Amino acid sequence: MTLPGLPVRILAAAAVLALGLVGLVVREGMARDAGREVVLPITGYDPRELLTGHYVRFQFRSEYPPGTPCPPGKGGYLRRGDAWVALTRRGDHHEATGAALSKAAALKLGEIAVRGDVDCLDRGAPETTWVVLNLGVDKLHADQEQAQAIEKIMLATRDGPATGYAVVSIGVDGKARLKGVSAGGRRVDLDWF
Amino acid sequence: MASYRRRLERDLNDWIDRGLVPADSRAAILDSVGEGRRLDAATSLAIVGGLLAGVAVIAFVAANWAEIPRIARFALVLAAFLGAAGGAAWAACGGREVTRQVLLAVAALVFAAAIGLTGQIFDIAGDPQAALRAAGLAAALLAIAGRSPWAATVGLVLLGFGDFADGGGRFDGAWRFGWLIGVAPLAAGLALWWRSQALAHVAGIACVVAVLTLDGALRAHPERLFLATAALLAAGAAGARFLRDRFEAAAGALYGWFVWGGLIWFGASGFGDDLKGVGHSIAWLALAAGVVALGRHDRQAPVTAAGVLGLLAAGASLLFNLGVGLMTSAAVFAGAALTALAVAWAMKGRKAA
Repeated sequence: MTLPGLPVRILAAAAVLALGLVGLVVREGMARDAGREVVLPITGYDPRELLTGHYVRFQFRSEYPPGTPCPPGKGGYLRRGDAWVALTRRGDHHEATGAALSKAAALKLGEIAVRGDVDCLDRGAPETTWVVLNLGVDKLHADQEQAQAIEKIMLATRDGPATGYAVVSIGVDGKARLKGVSAGGRRVDLDWF
Repeated sequence: MASYRRRLERDLNDWIDRGLVPADSRAAILDSVGEGRRLDAATSLAIVGGLLAGVAVIAFVAANWAEIPRIARFALVLAAFLGAAGGAAWAACGGREVTRQVLLAVAALVFAAAIGLTGQIFDIAGDPQAALRAAGLAAALLAIAGRSPWAATVGLVLLGFGDFADGGGRFDGAWRFGWLIGVAPLAAGLALWWRSQALAHVAGIACVVAVLTLDGALRAHPERLFLATAALLAAGAAGARFLRDRFEAAAGALYGWFVWGGLIWFGASGFGDDLKGVGHSIAWLALAAGVVALGRHDRQAPVTAAGVLGLLAAGASLLFNLGVGLMTSAAVFAGAALTALAVAWAMKGRKAA
């Protein structure tokens, strides 16, 4: 058997790579649409960096009254690779109610399990308790005007309670995928256009 | 520096004057050498014009990036990649070797950028390490498909960055191997097969730094790991030295980097508590001296340079290990000098015989 010529091999490799990239985008889009939607509180966190385009950077952070205990199974600042976060609905949004090292164990602590970890700061009174989620999603790319408007609202209360919400899709693989962000009446949704 | 042809012209004139070569053979000898292709002014201007047009298009797209729909942005990224790869295929059809190499390397870089841009366009969150490794593998696929050492070089650099990118779970003490451990020797083999000096240089550096990707072992037993790496690189240097005649410059480049790496990691193995001491410093000094002699013998300037720097570093480490005992230092250095002179005398005597 003779190998095809160089031009054919180059074109075939390029086609495989291009199809792979298209496949990734389609697969992620389908998983995002098919996943279970949750709404999580967010706060501003570190504004844009150079050379990465216009985006809003946020942190999944909830604030609780002084003395509130941390969710069970919490991790630390660094995300544990095999950790899962349990989410439970509270009113119009979801909150972390625990973390575990397996999906089954996380589902015993909440309604939905998502890959990620929980960091918690339970400082003494009068400081409040902070619960920070690390779900691998921390920014939304938007056009400059929208990014700056949302950033302004979120940074104004960077160290206070949540000022916005992120709409996140939890796929069957347990991965969190961002669907949109809303803050101060402005909402940015991710779509194909 | 005069070109080979120009030097040959000068030498031929001299040889003809001395009757060593018949004057009739002059033209035939010069024709057999040929002359490297030179770009004329029109071609150079056309290349500059093409590059400027490319910059203008990139600037125009960048200025309107936010206004372009996401799907169109993605199409633009894909078109840039397919354009570069298609250009490489076209160059391969016409036997344009340099153009094919350049365009395949550009295609590999554009694909790496495409992974990042696609993540940004569609807000797909991912691990930077996975993205770099995917880009590296894509470049490797293009390199193998198009037999391109330049694209392979891009791929190796991307895979190397992938090993050192924070994957989110490092610094946890776990034992893991970076991809460079397997990929760097493979790339060195490819560099020899394709006789590519560029790939040989990057593969040589990758072989030297690959040891730093052994996370757990580096923390647990750094001295033994560095010593074993030095031994492996010394074996690699011996192999590359042996293959120099067959694989020319590529083997020479690997030989140089392996010697550098071997001396560096041997020296580093003496900084821990296990191997620290005067004995290690003397062994390092002896090895460096041997490398200087080897470099001079093989006419390999990088090898000689590695030996000279090794001598300085080993000397400094010896002084440090001896503490403030200047008399002891003098005795050790005198002993080393006498040994070097004795070896040189013995070698000279053997050569004369």
